[in-house]
Amino acid sequence: MKKATVYIVLTAVLSMLMTISCNQHHEAEYHSLKDKIEVESIDFNGVSITSEQYIGDITTVEVKEGVHSFLIPERKGQITSFPCVECHTEPLQDLQEEGKKKAHWDIQLIHADEEIMNCATCHNGSNMNSLQSLAKGAIDINHSYKLCAQCHSDQFKDWQGGAHGKNIGGWTEPRVVMTCVNCHNPHQPKIQSRWPSRFNTQKVKERE
Amino acid sequence: MNTEKKWFKLDLGAKSNTGATCGCGKSSGGCNSHSYQNLPSTMETEAKDGFDQVFDVKMDRRTAFRKLTASLMIGAGAVSSSCSLTTSDDSKEKAQIDWEEQFKGNYKLMSDEEKKATVDRLVRSYQLRKGKNIKMSSQNASEDVLFGYAFNISKCQGYMDCVNACVQENNQDRNSQMQYIRIHEIEEGKGFQFNEADDNYYHEVPAEGHFYMGTQCFHCDNPPCVEVCPVQATWREEDGLVVIDYDWCVGCRYCMAACPYDGRRFNWSTPEVPENEVNKNQHYLGNRMRKKGVMEKCTFCVQRSRSGRDPACVEACPTGARIFGNLLDPNSTIRWVLENKKVFRLKEDLGTEPKFWYFMD
Repeated sequence: MKKATVYIVLTAVLSMLMTISCNQHHEAEYHSLKDKIEVESIDFNGVSITSEQYIGDITTVEVKEGVHSFLIPERKGQITSFPCVECHTEPLQDLQEEGKKKAHWDIQLIHADEEIMNCATCHNGSNMNSLQSLAKGAIDINHSYKLCAQCHSDQFKDWQGGAHGKNIGGWTEPRVVMTCVNCHNPHQPKIQSRWPSRFNTQKVKERE
Repeated sequence: MNTEKKWFKLDLGAKSNTGATCGCGKSSGGCNSHSYQNLPSTMETEAKDGFDQVFDVKMDRRTAFRKLTASLMIGAGAVSSSCSLTTSDDSKEKAQIDWEEQFKGNYKLMSDEEKKATVDRLVRSYQLRKGKNIKMSSQNASEDVLFGYAFNISKCQGYMDCVNACVQENNQDRNSQMQYIRIHEIEEGKGFQFNEADDNYYHEVPAEGHFYMGTQCFHCDNPPCVEVCPVQATWREEDGLVVIDYDWCVGCRYCMAACPYDGRRFNWSTPEVPENEVNKNQHYLGNRMRKKGVMEKCTFCVQRSRSGRDPACVEACPTGARIFGNLLDPNSTIRWVLENKKVFRLKEDLGTEPKFWYFMD
């Protein structure tokens, strides 16, 4: 009888001690940051903050690729003379005749080699309103990323995950990201070199 | 007298505490009878604060005298301006605010009401001194958020747009050209030789045979700077941000010495920002104006990030080399980068656990 009471009391005391020490070691609960992230994100239920107000007044299009689902800026509304068929009513050859008013004369294609790419790689002369895939399928201008993804599959994968490109607004939902043509000119996709936007003259003085 | 305050209150000539029926006959404040009477009772809290933290400890006469001197200066100023018939209401209010600010507690220990009160005082003080209105927040960390950052070394081209955006956003001193971010131009094929890298280049970028790597405060999960602070003026918040209470910092620069990443900056002189360039969207722990002799550093733009926005450097980067997000959200982009790219951190062997990863395409 007495032994049992002693055991009960001991267990109670021990468990109390354990809870106290656990509380004290709350900070060192995890062996590494990786463990902490893993454990604490198990019952992640979303956050109450939204990035909606920082997106601005752009219209967006939904993208669903694999497990990823996000928004990209709508494109057609940004093109001054869309729809293209307003001008492209006759075959291209006829429009290119001498003496006719020139359009798109300033577009220069610096994108891969000439034998690999020309206008017809992406545009279809008989359906100017849409883009054209390598297999001659029509691609909506709002989904022009599909065209780029045909060759740039690594970038496409990184873009979906978020390692390539930029997001618009903030870090939380809704996820709005820039699409390829928001940063790269499709006709000259290479980002040009330039001068840094800053030079710290004070640092130079300090290090003299 | 309001007896519910944690710190000693100097009430300069106030007889009644009911706001509208004050002796001065005004309801606009400035007579010292209107201010800060509505703070709820926080006496029950265990944490010592303000006056108690400073004076409710055993100390010898010399220490006590030293501690009192600074406060007396403020007190004297307050009394002289309040008792004088010629001083304006504004300067009386200024003196009152200075007094309250001098004896406020450590931000870390404040209740939400106290945080709001100090923020309100600072906003009012700015209004009185500069005649301009600022917006200051005391927003706390959100639940289920742990901020993390990733930097793509193959994308950065060294344009330094991030640095400019950071300086503007965070009201950094223009005179000393303080910058939280450093972009290192490193020669390819030599590894990370920071001693041979150039962080103040000025030529067309990207330079042939070089790559660019940005460093700033890494918001370590096990921050050595926090360990060494003798007054607990810097700490790690629940959402992982390592922050500083500029009003509690004594400027000993131990943290600067302890940081293995050169993430911290010291104000050798009073920081100056032209009035029209001051970012008026501020946070107590973030970009509010600092003073001479205190530390500051990157806060992942706490004033932006806590309300769902990307830090200024992330937004400004023209190459998309900077990725920011919530480490606890399994669907966030930062998590995708950590899980799908080959990431590494600087000086990982130190066990500081930075929440700032580098990766390549």
